[in-house]
Amino acid sequence: MSASNVPLLEVFGIVKRYGGLVAIDHVDLQLQPGTITGVIGPNGAGKSTLIGLIGGAVVASEGSIRLDGRDISRLPASERARAGIGRTYQIPRPFLDMTVEENLEVAQYSIQPFIRAAIARDERAALLKRTGLVDAASLPARALPLLRRKRLEVARALALKPRIVLLDEVGAGLVDSEITELIALIHSIADPRTAIVIVEHVLRVVRECCARSMVLNFGKKLVEGPTMEIFANDEVAAVYLGTGGSREPSVSPARVIDPEAQDAVHFVGPEAERRVMTSLIALPPVIEAKVPLLDLQGICSGYGQARVLRGIDLTIREGQAVAILGANGAGKTTLARTISGAITPTSGVLRIAGDDVLGRPPHRIAELGIAHCMEGRRIFSTLTVQENLLIAARHADASAARERLGAVYDLFPVLAERKDQGGTSMSGGQQQMLAIGRALMARPRLIIFDEISLGLAPVVMDKLYDALAVLKQAGMTLIIIEQDVDRALALADHAYVLEHGVFGLSGAPSQIAADPRLRHIYIGTAD
Amino acid sequence: MKILSGFAEAGVLLGAFILLWFASDFVDDYGLQIAFRVLIYLTLAESWNLLAGSVGLVSLGTSCFVGLGAYVAFGLLNHIDAPLPLVLLGCALAGGALAALVSPALFRLRGLYFTVGTLALAELLRLTMVNVSAFGGAMGIFMKKDPPPLPELYHYALAVALIASLAITACARTRVSVILRAVRDDEDAAAQMGVRPYRVKLGAFVLASALVAIAGGVQATKLGAIEPYGMFGLQWSIDVLSMVIIGGVGLRLGPLVGALFVVALGEALADYPEAHVAIAGVILIVLIRFAPRGVVGFAENLSSLTKKRATA
Repeated sequence: MSASNVPLLEVFGIVKRYGGLVAIDHVDLQLQPGTITGVIGPNGAGKSTLIGLIGGAVVASEGSIRLDGRDISRLPASERARAGIGRTYQIPRPFLDMTVEENLEVAQYSIQPFIRAAIARDERAALLKRTGLVDAASLPARALPLLRRKRLEVARALALKPRIVLLDEVGAGLVDSEITELIALIHSIADPRTAIVIVEHVLRVVRECCARSMVLNFGKKLVEGPTMEIFANDEVAAVYLGTGGSREPSVSPARVIDPEAQDAVHFVGPEAERRVMTSLIALPPVIEAKVPLLDLQGICSGYGQARVLRGIDLTIREGQAVAILGANGAGKTTLARTISGAITPTSGVLRIAGDDVLGRPPHRIAELGIAHCMEGRRIFSTLTVQENLLIAARHADASAARERLGAVYDLFPVLAERKDQGGTSMSGGQQQMLAIGRALMARPRLIIFDEISLGLAPVVMDKLYDALAVLKQAGMTLIIIEQDVDRALALADHAYVLEHGVFGLSGAPSQIAADPRLRHIYIGTAD
Repeated sequence: MKILSGFAEAGVLLGAFILLWFASDFVDDYGLQIAFRVLIYLTLAESWNLLAGSVGLVSLGTSCFVGLGAYVAFGLLNHIDAPLPLVLLGCALAGGALAALVSPALFRLRGLYFTVGTLALAELLRLTMVNVSAFGGAMGIFMKKDPPPLPELYHYALAVALIASLAITACARTRVSVILRAVRDDEDAAAQMGVRPYRVKLGAFVLASALVAIAGGVQATKLGAIEPYGMFGLQWSIDVLSMVIIGGVGLRLGPLVGALFVVALGEALADYPEAHVAIAGVILIVLIRFAPRGVVGFAENLSSLTKKRATA
């Protein structure tokens, strides 16, 4: 890559802010024709936002994007597509009621309305052949399984005859053999005039396709360079595994002195702890002490065609704290949703305190004392903080609800100060506290915490985990689903590591932390 | 249901047009009245179906453009005594122009909000007409000339319905069709494919509004007198909506079947106006519950089911 080469695409100092949150913070990127570049980083690092910024779906707050020297940063998505930028969506968005071929026609006829029908047909045939969709040409896109929908996403992007191809997590949710096919496809679309960007959590795709890679963390470029060097970089491993201190330098100073860090959790004394225990935690029924609180056997689950969990056995006793770890797309959130009843498993046994609850709707399972603190917080934006809390205690009488409210406010004093504010008007960390408080208001026997530290500064994460420690001491049963390995392992009694929908590793936290396979599962460098 | 190619469909439409053109010599006044109403409704329903079925813009503003067409037609007839074809061209231009004028505001609204926006627009225009005495105020306007004879009006309505049907064929049977449906199904994904959603929606909205305004002009010419409550009445928008829902949203034959159905029902229950409204309501509810794709969609499902049985 000589310096005299004019880059095909030049991203300079791009910034995207959502209110106070900086999703992408002064990122630079240069793409030469004929190259494949990987973009990796943990959840919430801003990877998809970067794709959106280049593709035009997201409007930049600052910075410029030049395609062939022409500034395209103010153009809408449609004009950028016409200028030669093709992108795929992380979750495929084909036009479901159109056939596969019609999906390609949209791109063809929008850029060349008067292309001769025979030429267009030949081009479509070639595209379908390249992406392995020939036999599906006249099927409605709705009939395609996930992998083929992802292929259709790629085919549609290619129908634009793009010079830049942006592939957003085309490998997520695919099994190994499918990933091998995907890698072959990506190699087949690389040509000397095109530049490809791959955003991927499946690091095998990045390793086998990309000569160069960039690591994003908290919206900033952490490192950029040859892919092999990136994968050997300890700092990169730290970003993925969340190894405490090494993350600190990458955090902007503004975040470290975040005011919410101070008022998050005040010291929780034994008095408050006792109140939390008595009013928020259901006492375990004495008779059922020998029956595990939660018992999963051979659970298989997924979304339509995409099978995510492939046989999960999990037993949790009253008072245990269990950590579920694993890379993105391993099935952690699906497991949480399966336990709370949001997804019905396709097979297996699901027992709560001895009751077979397979197929029961989520509100019935919640009645049994299972609370789910969902990924992404899910705060009701039209309700105030206090209303958000009270809605989870609908079944309790007024005095019990008031008592629990007091206990939640003891645990998170900042929520008491903000109780009349809109639920989503608070900062990310405070919203996460609200989500945890809301889960507690139902007086559950077991809480599933799904990625509560996602997108939060380390100091705020510490405060949240302090609160979880209080709950654990008070005898609450916890399932902690985390990407941040160190924090979860420090709290848990037992840990499981999910890999491709099965538990690849399980044991005591100290044992798991020391196991070299953990690093392998997250980064996949060992093979 | 691609039984016919675009050219074949246009041929069928032209053939039907020629046959129906001469039918006026053999049908009595009652028949012509009914046929006139079906044709006006067909024009409105075709335009509405283009917006809602193909581009996903559910409008409650049909009455706005019917009324606009009526007032423009009377203005041109009364003040400059223009010939009727020119008058109708004027209606089309006015309808298209108003659509283009309001779309920067309306297209900021998506989904249900767009629907409410069109409703507000229709009310705005109606209240303007009621309150501005230059437009006749609440009393309305009389046509200075006598209305043309019924067979002539029928021919105008037939021609307008043909134009509307051909326009919709052009949109539904060519490569324009995939572009329209792409915008309907996922505007953002369509933009990422290079489609310019704003222009596509604008084009469809202008075309549909122009057609509705022509239909309004023809209707007004037949009435001989117009007033704001009738011409800008919500009833137009509701009728059109129910016709297309009964016939089948987004289906090529939906508007025709729906228009025939609604007019036939109205005639059958003409002596029981209260029962008419109630029964039409019940039919709508039953259809939405059991045949969400309307009569045409239901028939399609039945035929494909019997075909499957036959092959099994």
